[in-house]
Formats: sequence, C-alpha cells, structure tokens
Amino acid sequence: MTEKNIIEMTGVQKRFGSFQAVSDLTLSLREGEFFSLLGPSGCGKTTALRMIAGFQEPTEGKVVIDGQDMDGIAANKRPTNMVFQSYAIFPHLDVGDNVAYGLRNRGIARAEINRQVSEALEMVELGGLERRGANELSGGQRQRVALARALVMRPKVLLLDEPLSALDKKLREQMQFEMRHLQQSLGITFVMVTHDQYEAMTMSDRIGVMFEGRLVQVDAPATLYASPSNREVASFIGEMNFMPGAVKEETDTSLTVESPGFGTMTIPRNPNVETPGKSVLLGIRPEQLEIAKEQPPEYDATVEGVVRDVAFYGENVHYHVRVDGVDSRIAISVPNYFHTVDHGPGDKVWLGVQGESVIDLGQQSDKPI
Amino acid sequence: MKRLSGLQTYAILYLVFLYVPVLLLPLFSFNDGTIVAFPIKGWTLEWYRQLAGEATLLNSLVNSLIVGSVAALLSTSMGLFAARAFVRYQFTGKRFSEGIVMLPLVVPGIIVASSMLVLFISVGLRPSLTAVILGHTLLALPFSVSILKSAFDDFDISLEEAAFDLGSGVWETFRRVTLPIVVPGIVSSILVTFTVSFDEFVLAFFLSGNDPTLPVYIWSQIRFPAKLPNTLALGSLLLLASVLLLVVAELFRRRSSNKLV
Repeated sequence: MTEKNIIEMTGVQKRFGSFQAVSDLTLSLREGEFFSLLGPSGCGKTTALRMIAGFQEPTEGKVVIDGQDMDGIAANKRPTNMVFQSYAIFPHLDVGDNVAYGLRNRGIARAEINRQVSEALEMVELGGLERRGANELSGGQRQRVALARALVMRPKVLLLDEPLSALDKKLREQMQFEMRHLQQSLGITFVMVTHDQYEAMTMSDRIGVMFEGRLVQVDAPATLYASPSNREVASFIGEMNFMPGAVKEETDTSLTVESPGFGTMTIPRNPNVETPGKSVLLGIRPEQLEIAKEQPPEYDATVEGVVRDVAFYGENVHYHVRVDGVDSRIAISVPNYFHTVDHGPGDKVWLGVQGESVIDLGQQSDKPI
Repeated sequence: MKRLSGLQTYAILYLVFLYVPVLLLPLFSFNDGTIVAFPIKGWTLEWYRQLAGEATLLNSLVNSLIVGSVAALLSTSMGLFAARAFVRYQFTGKRFSEGIVMLPLVVPGIIVASSMLVLFISVGLRPSLTAVILGHTLLALPFSVSILKSAFDDFDISLEEAAFDLGSGVWETFRRVTLPIVVPGIVSSILVTFTVSFDEFVLAFFLSGNDPTLPVYIWSQIRFPAKLPNTLALGSLLLLASVLLLVVAELFRRRSSNKLV
C-alpha cells in the first residue's frame, strides 16, 4: 500500500428521480488497499461502486481515478474492471474465451493473449481449463473465471459487487483468504461491496460503512469494531449491548460514568464521537463481559442478574441475562474452553466488565434503547 | 376399459373436430380419383407429380418464398430492437407502444388488408410483392416481438455490462455478446414469422396484384374441380412444411431459454 490516492470521490451525489441513493460521498482510496463498502441492502453502496465503474453518472460531484477526472468517460474507457454479483460469465464462450474477451479488444497478438489467459487462469487455480464450457462450471469456478477475466486486464482498481454472496459458507470462507492473498500479491486496489460484516472485516484494510446513502465511518476493521462512531455502526458491526450512562467527570482521555446496574466506572473517550454532554450512550461487546456464579473481584464494575436464555454455538456459548434497572437483556458470549455450559435459564449470576472495554458512543439520542 | 369422464370425452371430441379435416387433406391427396369423397378408389402419387409441371404454381411458390424470407428478416430485425427495449428500459409510452405492436393479432385481417390497399395506392405503391412484404412484416411483428422478448427476459443484463466493462463499445457488445446469446431466439423468430407470411391469404390476396403468392394461387385453383386433387396435394405439402418449421422454431426457442440459467 502506498500513500498515493488512487480514487478520489468528492461530494458525489446520486438521485434516481426523487430518491436520493447516495448523498455527499467524499472518499479517498489508497493505491493497493483492499477497501470494502459495507452496509445493509439499499444503503447506496452498489450505486457508489457503479459510479466508480462508470455504469452510473453522479448527479453531482466528482470521481477521480488515478489523477484523471472520470466525468464523461464511459465504463469501457476506465482503468477499472468489475466482478459482478452474478459473475456474468458469457454463456456462449468457453473459459479461455471468457478470460480473453477484454484482451481481444486491445488488439494484442493471439499468442500473447493465450499466454496471458493461461497465466491468469493459473493465478486463480484454474490452470488448463481453457476449453471448459461456461455451463460446466461450479459456482466457485465461475467466481474464479470472473476474477481472472477482470484481473487479466491489469486494472488500476478491481471492483467487486458482492463477489461471494452466491457461494456456500465453506467455499466463501476459503475464497475470502484466496482473494486477500491475490490482492496482496498483485498490489491492485480492490473495492468490494458487501452486506456481510464478517466478509468485510476478514478481507479489508479499511471499511466504509454506509447507511441510507451516507458514508458514516471509514476505518480499519479493528478500529471500527472498537470505536464505532455511532449507535448504528455499533449495532451493524458485531453485537453490542447498549445502556445509558450519566457523565460524572470528564477528562481529555476518559469519562467517569454512572450506569444503571453496573454503577460508576471510568471508560476511555472514543476519538470518533462528539464530546458528550450530561449523558452518553455506552456500548459493551458480549465477549467483554464476564459471567460467574460468585461476584468476580477483579472487575471494575459488577452487577447481579438472572439468566434468561442460553444458546450453544459450538465455539462460543451465548447467554441473555436480565439485570434490574436495565431495560434490555444483556448478551454475553463466552468461549467454550472446557466443553461445558456453566449456567442455565433461571440461574442467578454475576456479570463483570472492565471500564476500559466499555465503548463511549457519544451523546445519547432520544431514541429508546 | 375405464369409462371416460365428461371432460375427457369433450377433449377428444374437440381434437377430432379440430384435426380430422386437416388430416383428410393429405388422405385425399393420395386418392386415385378427382372427387373428394369416400370410398377411396386407389392410391396414387400422380397429383404430386403433376405439381412439378405447373409453371404458375412454381412461380407463386417462388413469390411466397421471397415474400416470406424478406418479411421474416424485416420483422425479426425490427422485433429484436423492440423486444430489447421493452425488456430493458422503462420509458413513457412503453405499454402503449407494446399494445400497438401486438394490435395486428386482434384486428381483423380484412380491415388491415383493405386499409393497406387504400394507403398504398394513395402513396403510389401499386399492388405488388413489395406491398405484400410490407403487410406481412406488420402482421409478423407481434410474433417476433413476443418470441424475442422471452429471449431477452432470461438475459442477465450484467452480461452486457461485463462486455462493456471489458472495453467493448456498444456495437461490439451487441455483436460479441448480445447477438450470440439471443441467436436461438432470432432463428426461432425467423422461422415463425416466415411461416406466418407463407400461410397468409387475406393480405396477400388484396396486395399481391399480378404476382400471386402460394395461398392466393391455391384459392384461384379451387374454382376448377379438375384441379382439386392437385390443390390437395399442394396443401398437404404446405401443411407438412409449416409443421416442420414450427417444430424447429420451438426447439430453438426452448434452447434459447434453457441456455441462460
């Protein structure tokens, strides 16, 4: 990854009639990074991607790729290539001709095309399958052909529209690693659109989270998880327990808050949110909570509760605990170290949390928690 | 034997009523006698042999082939663009224009034929094969549009976007991706529209002038009782050709929709 920006989007808007699909999108993508646009369906992420590809013109704003303003430049003249959600493998062509399709538009000699095609197929581990028909491919193979067909063009930016959504879970996880390795070894900028937070987190250098046409936060996966900029991001990425807190004391780096149930604790300030007023929204990740039969002494804050539900996930056990004074149930996730489920519904338990793992989500809105 | 239900009896009677007359045509074309009545006197291929010697018949056959081919090509190429637009784009007047295209299916042929005759003469186009071609193109268009619409319905739009994304222009994309993928639909449309034109009588009767097409020729021959067996033989051949063409067309149409899953 370099410091150079390969894509600059400035004040980009897209309206379809009266529907605002993308509003005021300003985003810089670095050369060689794996960037994901993450958001629920209909949040405008695909429209944003299609504006980079050139399939859609921004209503307002500017898209610059590699220093060149893309205004008026059609998709077939842009230094980008796309992997489509449906893969769009040409059904009347075999694998080799699919991959060679774009090269033939460039007037390259036949022998050179064949060499590049077989190289691209090797790269996606489909070496020697040139003459395989498009209809004889499995889902995973189609995805690889689509990747090879786009990468053989040596684009400055590879665009991926939900590239893994059509694959089953095992294959999807395998492809996540393969695509990540491919991206790192080629050094090409990948921009992926996905609604799957795990996919985005495992593959990306940075993630941009979009809601209702707006880019809400852009950060590395770990930062996004640890310091979400608001309640929406916090609940879209991973699971989160929310509770209100009253601010007692405030310094540049910490807040002392009092929350119902857990009492008073000192938590770190979240650099991604506005300065809180009298009250803040607190977030606690389920895996940051300890659950025990006795009051755990080593925690900053503890509270007593009653187990309502237990869900066994294999690698983790999830508990839902009702605590007096907290409106919603608190979710706790415990790693399954010893193949035991220690608590059952109705059990009295203690919850413990360290102040430093509680997330400050800024000024509390009027929305009910 | 199991007793037939009322519905089954109805269905069988319906089929008999519909197809027995059609089957009588080839049967009597092999009859060794000029009167169309049972019992059949004997079997002969004489009527078929005589067909080959009829110069006017061959002439009208050539006319029909010309009209059918040109009308099929015209209506299929127009239908290709119309069908793609109807499936792909939303535009004002879409439903209206789709309705207009389908209208010839329901407007009585005699109305279309007489109004076309008036129109053509008023713009200086005498009844001729050209006039028949134009009329048949109009008549065949709804068929080609429906067939090609079903071909485009199954066509994933991102295939064209992918071609465009890989550097093809609009025309290149059409030639290298769109066209090859809808080819079965195009072939099916050409065969069906050809059949529509080849069998059409009313428009051809009004517009063909001194160049009769095959159905017009047959109609003129029915007036001569002695020629009736020849007409039956000719009719049987036409029936066979139409059925073959439509079967082939249907096979192509199915291929076009299976291919794009």
